[in-house]
Amino acid sequence: MSARELFSLRNPHTRTAISVTVFVFVLSALIGFILLPLAQPHLQFAGLWDAICSAAGVPRGTSSVENAPAAAPVSKVVLTSGTLAHPSQQSIGRGATLAQRCAICHGPTGISRADSPNLAGQYAAVIYKELSDFRSGARVNAVMTPFATNLTDQEIADLAAYYAYLPRLPAYHPEPQLKPTRIVVYGAPTRGIAPCGSCHGSLDNKTGSPWLEGQSAVYLKAQLEAFASGQRRNDISAQMRNVARAMTPAEIEEAAAYYASQPAEVVKAVE
Amino acid sequence: MLVNRRLILAHFWLAFAVFGLALLLGAWQMFVRSPLQTWLSNPEWYYRSLTAHGTVMGYVFPTLVAMGFGYAISEASLSQRLIGVRWAWTGYGLLAVGAVMAMVPVALGRASVLYTFYPPLIGNAFYYIGVVLVVVGSWIWVALMSVNLYAWKRVNPGAPVPLAMFANVAGSYLWAWTAVGAALELLLQIIPVALGLKTTIDAGLARVFFSWTLHAIVYFWLVPTYIAYYTIVPRAIGGRLYSDTMGRLAFILFLVVAMPIGIHHTFADPQVGAGFKFIHSAFTALVALPTLLTVFTICASVEIASRLRGGRGAFGWVRALPWDNPIMLAVAFSFVMLGFGGAGGLINMSYQLDATIHNTQWITGHFHLIFGGAIVIMYFAIAYDLWPHLTGRAFTDFRLMRAQLWLWFIGMIVTTFPWHYVGILGMPRRMAYYDFTNPALAPEAIQVTISVIGAVILVISGALFLTVLIRGQRAPLADAGPYRFSIALHPPTTVPMALNSHGLWFALMVALTITNYGFPILNLAVRSDTSVPAVYVGAQ
Amino acid sequence: MSLQADDHHGGAEIAARTERRWAMISVVIIVVLTLLAVLAGLHQVTMPQARVETTDPARLHLAGEFVESNLGTEVGADGAVTVRAIGQQYSFTPACILVPADTPITLRATSADVVHGILIQGTNVNTMLVPGYISEQFMRFSATGEHLMPCQEFCSFGHEGMWGKVKVIDKAAFAARAKAGGRLSCVGE
Repeated sequence: MSARELFSLRNPHTRTAISVTVFVFVLSALIGFILLPLAQPHLQFAGLWDAICSAAGVPRGTSSVENAPAAAPVSKVVLTSGTLAHPSQQSIGRGATLAQRCAICHGPTGISRADSPNLAGQYAAVIYKELSDFRSGARVNAVMTPFATNLTDQEIADLAAYYAYLPRLPAYHPEPQLKPTRIVVYGAPTRGIAPCGSCHGSLDNKTGSPWLEGQSAVYLKAQLEAFASGQRRNDISAQMRNVARAMTPAEIEEAAAYYASQPAEVVKAVE
Repeated sequence: MLVNRRLILAHFWLAFAVFGLALLLGAWQMFVRSPLQTWLSNPEWYYRSLTAHGTVMGYVFPTLVAMGFGYAISEASLSQRLIGVRWAWTGYGLLAVGAVMAMVPVALGRASVLYTFYPPLIGNAFYYIGVVLVVVGSWIWVALMSVNLYAWKRVNPGAPVPLAMFANVAGSYLWAWTAVGAALELLLQIIPVALGLKTTIDAGLARVFFSWTLHAIVYFWLVPTYIAYYTIVPRAIGGRLYSDTMGRLAFILFLVVAMPIGIHHTFADPQVGAGFKFIHSAFTALVALPTLLTVFTICASVEIASRLRGGRGAFGWVRALPWDNPIMLAVAFSFVMLGFGGAGGLINMSYQLDATIHNTQWITGHFHLIFGGAIVIMYFAIAYDLWPHLTGRAFTDFRLMRAQLWLWFIGMIVTTFPWHYVGILGMPRRMAYYDFTNPALAPEAIQVTISVIGAVILVISGALFLTVLIRGQRAPLADAGPYRFSIALHPPTTVPMALNSHGLWFALMVALTITNYGFPILNLAVRSDTSVPAVYVGAQ
Repeated sequence: MSLQADDHHGGAEIAARTERRWAMISVVIIVVLTLLAVLAGLHQVTMPQARVETTDPARLHLAGEFVESNLGTEVGADGAVTVRAIGQQYSFTPACILVPADTPITLRATSADVVHGILIQGTNVNTMLVPGYISEQFMRFSATGEHLMPCQEFCSFGHEGMWGKVKVIDKAAFAARAKAGGRLSCVGE
């Protein structure tokens, strides 16, 4: 009754069990690794070993392809959840100094008096991305482009850190709060529009998506229209163009008006 | 004899209490995404509920049932007082602590990642740590099952291990090994990222690790049901078990092939090679064998009971069965649902057929039918059968039990059959709401509505179940006698060593893990270029 | 009714024989099912993708096959039709995929962030998009028409809004549009 009797090949049960298992494994491996791959003529393998390796899942680098030329420059920014997650005090300080020149339009407290965006308390990754895109030409604006052209990477990071650090204050022309309309709350699923809040912060923040509460309605509407027409192209892989194109003009108005009427303080604090 | 009744009851009560809560969440989920309700203004609530429902129903509830039932089997079938009672309570406590630790962040909306927690989505670390504690608590139970069987074998050398205990230990070993996959994913990949120690994770490798657990965990859930089929049903309906040997074979087959087949859950994934997908497909076909054997053996055993009652004819004997016995009802309903669910499973395991319904609502319908239906209805039967012995009180309300089982069966059919159909229509999984006004989706509306009706029936049945159990705790005292298992038609006096021990089978399972999973895992683990940035859910 | 002691051996043998017969039938059923799977694989029905290919999801837009200008439907020099798409939170790009009917098409897609799925309703084109890996499926549409294309895997709180579209047009109409070269799609239509 010992384990040695059980694990010995003299035990008929052990013999049968091991042979059946081995048989099934070897047969299925032969079929899966050799027969099936080679039986599919439209897959070009460089020989048997290539077929076996591919069936095993050994990663191959993508074959070089002829890419279609880009119509216009697109954003070159790489964003991850870690982007500018932990800015240093020195960075914020440097950013404060640099931001003095931004105050003409964006306000000394980061709250704009004109229809330029309020930057105070905006996600750092957002400011970083937009400034980088203005600098690279992925996003074009007659006013912003000259400001951004001479900024270095570190300066852009510092500015982003500084504005993210500022408290969110109410806008200069706060409006009575509007109720959100269907497009804002629900999006439009079969048109491919998710609820705005699923990226823009009220449900979840997708890195690089700005929070919108209290921004100028004129600005928001202009940006959505620019995305819809394709004039603004710095959204990575057209993700905002996908959304804006599917929105009706009325929905664009409603969304812009809604967000402009919301107090900035409702945005949940950056962690 | 059942000595540690409080231990066993503690497991069952916690299991059924959380089951009841999760059942309510499930019904709410069905309702809120159906045409009967306006869309959720905050879809995160739906995903939060989904996470809680899945975590409880998948990780907490069935584990507690298996553990409680396992302790009962150990004492009753071996006629041996449970060794390691304090360890058993420790395991129970760990599991309870883990469950609470996991559910707190979920309830707060900080871990709405769903119970499959596919990275690179990452939630609060305590959710994952809680799940790990649940698993560790259950591993203590595994060790105790092994220890208790070993002690009995020392005292009874050469004697056939009672089938119930043989199956119970096989199930525990299967669970112990299959849980390793998700444990590796959690400990090596997800928790370090959730704690901020790392910021990238290989999403493909994580899915491969999870697939290691994902299939065999359903067999871990299934083992108590099958133990009930073999060792409770024949006795309860006044019959004999047709074949003890077939029973052992079935559980041995589960132990060997239930686990190294998980890659059929990644048929549609780009990070696994087609050759391994085929190998897993072939072995998945093998795991249909023990179920086919079981269906025959149990039908034969049931027929014996009927003939003993005077049943006649090729099919007429069915009428002579003790249909007023809740256990008879439960096994009949279970087999009907097993038939449909099993057929669905055969479809899922065939790559070409799976391609149409992968990740559609067919999948959700399928596992609710097979797990929520065929398996859980036998959990009810197990509870009904054990309750008088655990509480020392007599049930009188068989009518309520029968009504509860009927409602569960009908409710499950009404919920899951339309669910399968909308899956064929292409309805995707895991969405908080659907636009049923779109002409392409409009045909799904009536089906989804019917499923909601089924969900309501299930909630009523669940409430009845808890009512029966509570009443059973308050019924008049009555000694139910020793707890007995079914006797085989030809009880074995000696059993070949291979059918009386688990070592060989466990070794084969591990060997197959190495051949079937070794390369797919190493292939990805050794690479540094497949890790992608983590995406923290609910970050603002 | 008790079982007679002298029936024991005869009964046991009958039972054992019956069990063996059923076990044989079960094994035959399973072997037949597996053979069907093999035969299906030999006759060019849909098969798992043949290769594992890796990519960097955070840098898809910078270089390589999935840069924005390369997404969409391409007609190669040899006439081969390839669709390239990415899934991201919470849309597909291109949001509307344009394909010709009655033509073998290769779909190549990946995810830019988390695990997504891509399912073309009314067909069996159904695969996962796992960040870091490229998914490839062969497809052929026998009829013209439009199909909704949802994401079928939970990708966080906007998942319910992630629906794309596939538009299948007549081969000739497609060829006319493809003459201009570049990458085709039906966005904005």
